[in-house]
Amino acid sequence: MNKSVTNRRSFIKKMAMISAMTAAATMFPGILFAKEQEEGIPEDANLDWKKGPCRFCGVGCGILVGIENGKAVAVKGDPNSSVNKGLLCVKGYHQIMCIQSKDRLTHALVKKNGKYVQTPLNEALDIVANKMKDTISEHGKDAVAMYTSGQSTIPEGYVASKFMKGAIGTNNLDCNARLCMASAVTGFLTTFGTDEPMGCYEDIDHADYFITWGNNMAEMHPVLFSRMLEQKSQRSAKIIDFATRTTRSSLASDRSILFEPQTDLAVANAICYEIIKNKWVNNSFVEKHCNFSKGLTNMGYGLEDNYKFTDKPEKIDFEAYKEFLKDYSPEKVSRYSKVSVRDIKYLAAIYGDPNTKIVSYWCMGVNQHTRGTWMNNLIYNIHLLTGKISQPGNGPFSLTGQPSACGTAREVGTFTHKLPHGVVMNPKDREMAAKIWKVPVERIPAKPTYHATEMFRAVDRGDIKFIWTQATNPLVSLPKTSRYRPGMEKKSCFVVVSDVFPTPTSDVADVILPASWHIEKDGLYGNSERRTQHWNKMVDAPGEATADAWMFIEVAKRMGYGDLFPYSKENHVEEIYNEYRQFHEGTKHGLAPLEVLKKESGVIWPYVEGKSTQWRFNAKYDPACSNGEDFDFYGKPDGKAIIWQRPFEEAPEKPDQEYPFWLNTGRVIEHWHTGSMTRRIPVLHQAMPNAYVEFHPDDAKSLGISNGENIKITSRRGSCTLPASINQRGLPTKGQVFVPFFDENMLINDVTLDAFCPISKEPDYKKCAVKVEKA
Amino acid sequence: MKKRLVIISFFVIIFISFIVIWNFSYQKGLEKAYIPIIETPTGDFIPKERGVFKRFNAEVDYLAMPIDEQYERSLKDYYNNRAYPGAPPSIPHPVANEASFGGNTCIQCHENGGFVPKFDAYAPVTPHPEMVNCRQCHVTKNTNGTFRAFTFDKPASPKVGTGANNAMPGSPPMIPHQIQMRENCIACHAGPSAPKEIRVSHPNWMYCIQCHLPKETQTLQINASVFLRQINSTNEE
Amino acid sequence: MPVKSYLAIPLEGKKDELISALRNFEQCEVVPAKNQDVLALVTDTPNQKVEEVLKEKIEAINSLKLLSLVSGFNTPYN
Repeated sequence: MNKSVTNRRSFIKKMAMISAMTAAATMFPGILFAKEQEEGIPEDANLDWKKGPCRFCGVGCGILVGIENGKAVAVKGDPNSSVNKGLLCVKGYHQIMCIQSKDRLTHALVKKNGKYVQTPLNEALDIVANKMKDTISEHGKDAVAMYTSGQSTIPEGYVASKFMKGAIGTNNLDCNARLCMASAVTGFLTTFGTDEPMGCYEDIDHADYFITWGNNMAEMHPVLFSRMLEQKSQRSAKIIDFATRTTRSSLASDRSILFEPQTDLAVANAICYEIIKNKWVNNSFVEKHCNFSKGLTNMGYGLEDNYKFTDKPEKIDFEAYKEFLKDYSPEKVSRYSKVSVRDIKYLAAIYGDPNTKIVSYWCMGVNQHTRGTWMNNLIYNIHLLTGKISQPGNGPFSLTGQPSACGTAREVGTFTHKLPHGVVMNPKDREMAAKIWKVPVERIPAKPTYHATEMFRAVDRGDIKFIWTQATNPLVSLPKTSRYRPGMEKKSCFVVVSDVFPTPTSDVADVILPASWHIEKDGLYGNSERRTQHWNKMVDAPGEATADAWMFIEVAKRMGYGDLFPYSKENHVEEIYNEYRQFHEGTKHGLAPLEVLKKESGVIWPYVEGKSTQWRFNAKYDPACSNGEDFDFYGKPDGKAIIWQRPFEEAPEKPDQEYPFWLNTGRVIEHWHTGSMTRRIPVLHQAMPNAYVEFHPDDAKSLGISNGENIKITSRRGSCTLPASINQRGLPTKGQVFVPFFDENMLINDVTLDAFCPISKEPDYKKCAVKVEKA
Repeated sequence: MKKRLVIISFFVIIFISFIVIWNFSYQKGLEKAYIPIIETPTGDFIPKERGVFKRFNAEVDYLAMPIDEQYERSLKDYYNNRAYPGAPPSIPHPVANEASFGGNTCIQCHENGGFVPKFDAYAPVTPHPEMVNCRQCHVTKNTNGTFRAFTFDKPASPKVGTGANNAMPGSPPMIPHQIQMRENCIACHAGPSAPKEIRVSHPNWMYCIQCHLPKETQTLQINASVFLRQINSTNEE
Repeated sequence: MPVKSYLAIPLEGKKDELISALRNFEQCEVVPAKNQDVLALVTDTPNQKVEEVLKEKIEAINSLKLLSLVSGFNTPYN
């Protein structure tokens, strides 16, 4: 009763307001009232709630979007999703607010005489297809390239791969997940022979200790962090933060341990040293399930163009590994890592205690590392030596930053060396792809070409004459944009950018294609814990904005590959997914059928006989285990995971007299990656309007820098001016400065170094040398 | 004889243990109900964020607390006790010890709260129990009159309720007030002393600023001409 | 429970002052025009008496030039 009165009352008030506004309109023609109040929606409005995954990070929270009169007007957490159980973070709650932004790309824009001219989409796609065809006939297949995204949906990634590798026949396809996940992939492949984490988020409910390696989860994976905090208060689980910067995560942790940049390699080895020295090794596990190997060292840093590296693994034994570890006693490591001997022993004791359950979490600190693959290997070493892996509450867990970095980039394989199943170098995988795609197997080239950084170097050199980017903003997110921006601006390369909003990348485009945002199309994403999530289109896209997958198909048709893409516009997502599923049939990677995905809030693969596999490699949970033992690391031919001997090596650029500070870059809770979406959401922009450079208070004091003062940061590559931030959001260690990279008006990536991990080719955004001066 | 000795020694032991236990409990009884003050953390800590996770390690189960409607505070009472929104509240009750700073008097009730029969109310919880010189900012009220005729334009307190601070129906409200020294949200927004209008429904999700951000509006003037696209630097209208 | 809507016109240059003054009354809802010096105002009061008091208070605001009634509704409690 009460409710209806308030409802009626708010209705009457609304009517009264409207009558006042109408009266005003007759008196003052052309009068405008503040829009937000005019459209104010009563609280009990009859919203239609539709399920989907969040658009932002790799956690993959389930969301419910409230639809009213064909518009998305509200978001809440999906209580049925086991990922977030109804909770979201501030970005998630406000995500849909960006799509109505006034500068939304609604029509195709074609650059004519230096100006962008609105063009019908059909004509723009003609231009793209013709340009692509001409480039191929003039300069060959490898002169065209495509750069996609971990935000592309699974069908979009699949069509991109089929189009480039199956139809055109070039491996010039890479994606921005190279910048965030590549080291995790090579880490998994080298240690276990198969990609993606063995555990799942439910580990949080079982673990006694959470150890985060260079990872500010409170800001980057806040929903998971809240789940950890809940366990901390309910079960007294402990959080240990191991990082180079004091953050919110450190404040919430039970112990915060700081280390000198790059020395995480040494500390991880020291932990293994202590585990072996104190006889905490799970001997039967290591004997049954592990091999030991070493690879090449002094691999370089990929700083020069056309850099090539292939690792040469060599089998060793446990004794040789023990001998190698002798250089990594806590006493020796403590000298250069600035981690106390006590802290190293403390960490080792936690890992070594057979009665505690531990999950290690990491994200960009470990992956964006010139020895990122090694660092991933080293964390696995610790878990393998102690046998704490693939069990509820025990295991290493690599987090992701994009909503479908796993689902699209890694599983569909939008990397130059990847196919939807396996790699291009493997003839069997090529045959499989050729069979499902119905193309001659010779068309799929066996040699990988450009990874992300090298792709943009090739653009700069003039080797690539045509590049098409989708759902990504490389001119803010690449390292050393001071080289790649002028490179993309060169006339030698035709640039096509598909995006939802104008970005610094679309500023250099020859053709800009308007893409639809995630809830404006059907799609599927795959999150960090192998969960595939489906959603249906919820609202119409504005103007001519179209799903990326459909724009690929349209261009492919115009280039004469129509028979390879026999999908219908209405139903292409379903048709593509069903075709893609054939690649992963079987118990090791079986994907759930679409009918199941439509019903459930996401399903974890391998999906076998109607059941998700939550812990892989463990015979109790994983039906793919076949060796009769408790564990089977079936990614490797002999079912054994590899413990890698990986040494400590210095960073390519270290602070010196001229450039005395480390520069670390990263993110903040309010903004997601390059901010093209979150900065268009008023709540988030108002809370974090611009980037900043963070100092340790002692450094600021000795330099005489006060909060808010403009500071110019310069490296050997470029410079960037930002306001100083002292004692605000975080606290870098002495001798280090930190800058978030979301701000397209303060491009810190002009300053960063494009050195990368030779195995994964993932750049290191966390370490380079800079000098600071008052601007 | 031996038997007697055993019995005597038995009674002696009983007597000694009685004295020990009695002494121990007597000493315990002398201690005041005093909760040790949380130390200001040393070394690396972030001043602006220091209170964010405070109080969640205290054994306070907010979800299990019943709502005591009879003694609820209202937001009106809350603001009436402050000269302006954000000002330190004055002390509306007689104080136990005028000579004390407050470190071991005020804190007894105001660190964790609880019902105080003497004042018929729940003690409000302070968001900064580590600052023990309470009387530096909080003063008592000993007269109702003013020295001279007085006027002061008290700014309106931030509005609360549906739609006042949130951007969309059902979206989390943003923080409409300054949070300096009040980074510990839960002190005022949960428990029996929280004003009923601002009591949070989900105090168990400790990490408040994951969803609720302070409304900050300062923007920078930046040269946006770096790019071809001539937009306002911060994309504001 | 009267609900009334008005157009309020501020003295020159005192629009913001008037908006904040009106927003101080809990029973008032104000929507200022973006491009004209005029505000739409809705008052929502529990009974006639409160409504009269409120109107007097509004009319006492210094920055107000003119207040004109547009419409009024009265809903009984049910």
